[in-house]
Amino acid sequence: MAEPKLRVLMVSDFFFPNFGGVENHIYYLSQCLLNLGHKVVVMTHAYGNRTGVRYMTGGLKVYYVPWRPFAMQNTFPTVYGTLPIVRTILKRERITVVHGHQAFSTLCHEALMHARTMGYRVVFTDHSLYGFADVGSIHMNKVLQFTLADIDQAICVSHTSKENTVLRSGLSPGKVFMIPNAVDTAMFKPADVRPSSDDVITIVVISRLVYRKGADLLVEVIPEVCRLYPNVRFVVGGDGPKHVRLEEMREKHSLQDRVEMLGAVPHSRVRSVLVTGHIFLNSSLTEAFCIAILEAASCGLLTVSTRVGGVPEACTLFSIHTFLLWYYRMTWLCLLSQIRMTWYEQSKRRYQYFQVLTRRRCTIE
Amino acid sequence: MVSSCLSNKRYTYIHENENEPTRGAIDIHHVIINGSRATGYARLRWLAFFLVGLAILLGKDNPVRTLSWSCLLSGFFVMIQSRKFVKKESVIIMPTFGIQLQTQYLSGKTVSRFIPIGKILKPVLVECVTPVTCYWSLSLFLRGEEQLTLVFKELRPSLKMLVPIWKALCAVSGTDQREMMTEEEHVVAVECKEYNELYQQMWCQPNYYTSKDKIYSVTKSSKLK
Repeated sequence: MAEPKLRVLMVSDFFFPNFGGVENHIYYLSQCLLNLGHKVVVMTHAYGNRTGVRYMTGGLKVYYVPWRPFAMQNTFPTVYGTLPIVRTILKRERITVVHGHQAFSTLCHEALMHARTMGYRVVFTDHSLYGFADVGSIHMNKVLQFTLADIDQAICVSHTSKENTVLRSGLSPGKVFMIPNAVDTAMFKPADVRPSSDDVITIVVISRLVYRKGADLLVEVIPEVCRLYPNVRFVVGGDGPKHVRLEEMREKHSLQDRVEMLGAVPHSRVRSVLVTGHIFLNSSLTEAFCIAILEAASCGLLTVSTRVGGVPEACTLFSIHTFLLWYYRMTWLCLLSQIRMTWYEQSKRRYQYFQVLTRRRCTIE
Repeated sequence: MVSSCLSNKRYTYIHENENEPTRGAIDIHHVIINGSRATGYARLRWLAFFLVGLAILLGKDNPVRTLSWSCLLSGFFVMIQSRKFVKKESVIIMPTFGIQLQTQYLSGKTVSRFIPIGKILKPVLVECVTPVTCYWSLSLFLRGEEQLTLVFKELRPSLKMLVPIWKALCAVSGTDQREMMTEEEHVVAVECKEYNELYQQMWCQPNYYTSKDKIYSVTKSSKLK
């Protein structure tokens, strides 16, 4: 007997044209579900003039609902304000499952609440780690407890994230599944000819230049590494509020020829930047999973990261010898591999979206 | 002669055409609001009562004078608003000549707009998303105009009523149609590759969608057939 096809509504404040991990996750997951014959509709808020209905690759229908974001790309929370449009979309698309993404998305919380009120099956995926002490986190955790009170299932991207979500929301651990993120290995492949490491070692950093992603650590570390190793150069991709600090660091230590600032790098060009380097550096202060490490490893780079959140899980899943180094008040977790293609093959086997998707589908069913 | 009639809670759709359709026969499509007179005034009745009540509360010194003035002003307000009550919207299709879009109001006023056939690029069915709802609307791409032209400006008839009008407009404007059957719904997709530039200009316009060099007008017409 053929499996019944699902009609899934993905809800989040974070979707294209905004670029990030959550956006990519929603898009690739939707594409895989469409390939399996399910119907997927995405609901998000309007981005500038981009409102209404748009169709993306594979017939992915996206509703850009004209609710303007008010802070950090989030829709203004009105509790019942989005009920009419959520109900309209659920009815006209004949949705069977509502899948919300990201705890920080107000649209996601409201849609999940309204969907449960109407009796729909609801799944929630948490992509980030949050604290317990500051005012914003306390408020967010209260809202999360309310929203997740009676959902069907929850998905987290690492065991650390699962522990964090269970503690914050008060969910039963049996309801929370751990399904790691995936990487598109067809897109992130090592270069045919690896750059020569005889003269210059290139360290690549691609991240949003914000406090949370450890941009301040970069400002401290880069001059020190450049001083100790004259044959090292840095390539920094990404943009954000801390961009100015990095520029100041370049000026102060006269590192213009050794630190290259690329600015915002489109996702389609990330791979071409990664394959020019030998080492990938991730200095995040907190990470639920860190897809950037996977992408870098998939491209054949050695990866160095701060040991925070779910990063050790992502690294140990590679089953590669690891050792820890203490350096300059940071703990470095080094991934060693003699053969870079082994990483690519391993990530392809473990983290291809299709395999991850199968686990998610079992969760929903 | 009435060839078809569809009705729902809010609107009634009437299609008039010749008994034996000949080349060049005029095709008329009407969409009428059900109970328009009662519905229109009922909407303002409660507003008028509220205004009268508010005036009585505020003007306690001389209630008779306040009551009479408030009734007068409310009635005047209702009269002004009633000019906007639409009774019927019609699309009159004259092949090889053009189409006429008519809006008839409760007050008896009729507003018409004639669009020559040469000016019509293509008719499209688009989904319009508002902050509280999402509905289908029939629009026209016109030469030399940046904005889409709505066929029904005031009314929002259902997709079932819009599809036969859209098909008739496609036939008149010479737009190529291709039908694609899916498992669940009968989807009529229209491709118009020659209008790339116009679509690219309108990329950022709300309430319609493009996908590279194609525009899709998707309809659910399974129940009609």
